[in-house]
Amino acid sequence: IPIKPSGQKGTCANIAAGAVVCVESEIRGDVTIGPRTVVHPKARIIAEAGPIIIGEGNLIEEQALIINSYPENILPDTEGVEPKTMTIGINNVFEVGCVSQALKIGDNNVIESKADLGKNVILTSGCIVGACCQVNTCEVIPENTVIYGSNCMRRVQTERPQPQTLQLDFLMKILPNYHHMKKTVKGTSTPVRN
Amino acid sequence: MASLLQPDRVLYLVHGEKKIRSPLSTLYFCRYCSELRSLECVSHEVDSHYCPSCLENMPSAEAKLKKNRKRICNQLNENFRCANCFDCPCCMHTLSTRATNIPAPLPDDPSKTAMKKAYYLACGFCRWTSRDVGMADKSVASGGWQEPDNPHTQRINKLIEYYQQLAQREKLERDRKKLARRRPYMPLAFSEKYGLGTRLQRQRPGAPITSLAGLSLKEGEDQKEINIEPAQALDEVEPLPEDCYTRPINLPEVTSLRQRLLQPDFQPAGASQLHPKHKHLLIKRSLRCRKCEHNLSKPEFNPTSIKFKIQLVAVSYIPEVRIMSIPNLRFQKECQVLLTLTNPVENITHVTLVGCEEGDPEDINSTAKVMVPTKELVLAGKDAAAEYDELAEPQDFQDDPDVVAFRKSNKIGFFIKVVPQREEDGDVTVSFKIRHDFRNLAAPIRPSEEGDAPAEAIWLTHHVELSLGPIIA
Repeated sequence: IPIKPSGQKGTCANIAAGAVVCVESEIRGDVTIGPRTVVHPKARIIAEAGPIIIGEGNLIEEQALIINSYPENILPDTEGVEPKTMTIGINNVFEVGCVSQALKIGDNNVIESKADLGKNVILTSGCIVGACCQVNTCEVIPENTVIYGSNCMRRVQTERPQPQTLQLDFLMKILPNYHHMKKTVKGTSTPVRN
Repeated sequence: MASLLQPDRVLYLVHGEKKIRSPLSTLYFCRYCSELRSLECVSHEVDSHYCPSCLENMPSAEAKLKKNRKRICNQLNENFRCANCFDCPCCMHTLSTRATNIPAPLPDDPSKTAMKKAYYLACGFCRWTSRDVGMADKSVASGGWQEPDNPHTQRINKLIEYYQQLAQREKLERDRKKLARRRPYMPLAFSEKYGLGTRLQRQRPGAPITSLAGLSLKEGEDQKEINIEPAQALDEVEPLPEDCYTRPINLPEVTSLRQRLLQPDFQPAGASQLHPKHKHLLIKRSLRCRKCEHNLSKPEFNPTSIKFKIQLVAVSYIPEVRIMSIPNLRFQKECQVLLTLTNPVENITHVTLVGCEEGDPEDINSTAKVMVPTKELVLAGKDAAAEYDELAEPQDFQDDPDVVAFRKSNKIGFFIKVVPQREEDGDVTVSFKIRHDFRNLAAPIRPSEEGDAPAEAIWLTHHVELSLGPIIA
């Protein structure tokens, strides 16, 4: 979890140095993005009902939607509702078009295209949610689980998915050539990993 | 609205051994018999085998004799399986080979390590890898993967050899009896016990195809006596483990029935014993009319080509009726339904529609009375270049506007009147007969006629059934 510079709470995004966030992406609310994270254009990160903290080395592709939304039966104006923080770990991949409302996501997970994670799911580490799979149960998905198929079959794999370091390096070089980037916060004490 | 174009709403009746009603797009037309044929009244023949992922061709004869004859059991397995491609044992998708770099000691100097490529199989869909079942990475990209041996292979081989010999002996005895009556010039395959030697035997629908047919011993070989021990029944059976009822089930480790049964020789109960199997080959088949023995459909030999050498499909010879629009159908009220007729051939076709008479044995499904146009409908020929030809004069067919709604190149829309007779739930079904002229281009032109001799036209009649949807009260 990156160190937030003090005194910068509120509705602006805290983008650490070393993160590559395209201007065309939509970031609303209190969102913290760690270094070496790449956010593609048209990705949407919306912190409605609480802040979102995104770790290092994540890859958030186009049209992905990460939203910390209010539970269904609570209106936005109700008093006394505690804002819950959504935490996303390191080296996760959110592929094109996925929707994630899960409040806690660990490390090294892959959420494939058009997957749908509900509010009550907790992903640990090394999980792969397959394309078009909807997971809206109220459970903690054990480590190294693969959810695949039209019936959301599950199996456990022996090794976790590899972090996409090659892809991240490539994108961090190429994306600034074609897109404008959002301004990062200068002077964080987290060193950028080589 | 697109549901009206669904093919199964208009069915054509096929006169074969069974009366089959199916959409025109699934039927074939034998132009030598001038009749419609469905898949059930033609004989299917295997042309060639090919692998669906690497598209490698394997002609039938070669596929059978691929491996050493001694390993007969595995031969029956590898017969119709690809040598290069594997199926994921977990989700049955095709496995792909992936490479990683691992440091390995150089063969010359064990103290130094160099990066070597190691290959493993991985499934892109369920993320299964060959490392999950403990298969070591191989140093060659293809050809290094072996399927595990079946412990019962030897016993099965012996049984097969014994039964082959038995079949051979019985065949010789049968032939000896028959040869006494007939000419001695008889194909040896005529009375094979486990095979489908000649086409005469193959014509029987539903007869099983066994690959034992090609594996008979050659005539000159010595017939060694093979004896098999009968299987012995055991009194003692392995007892169940003690914690059988109390041990908690590790659900990800349990294989599903489908995963288990796809490997019938092992049927592993645990996911850590699921080994990948070679991919099954698919076939290219050709169809043959049973009456006149002409080919109706013959695909090309090359697996990458989807074209056909011979393609006598019904939609290219028979005018097709399609439903265009249906008004609200009311019980015992006359409704007007708009249908289209399309002419697939290049010459002008004349079509007459006739309603079914009372007591027509083919008319079993209709639930409404139908009034079809009495006049003959004329369809223009199909002209592929018509849309590019701006100077074409529109052909002048005197169309009765009560009957013909519109006309567009080789298609016309016409009205029929439907009076639903039954008030129950279910679709309103009407049927009528369509009679059209057909010019048989396959028939040879008589040499005595000189100049333009158009092929003779014969009149064909088909029974058509339409499903018009439910009655709206």
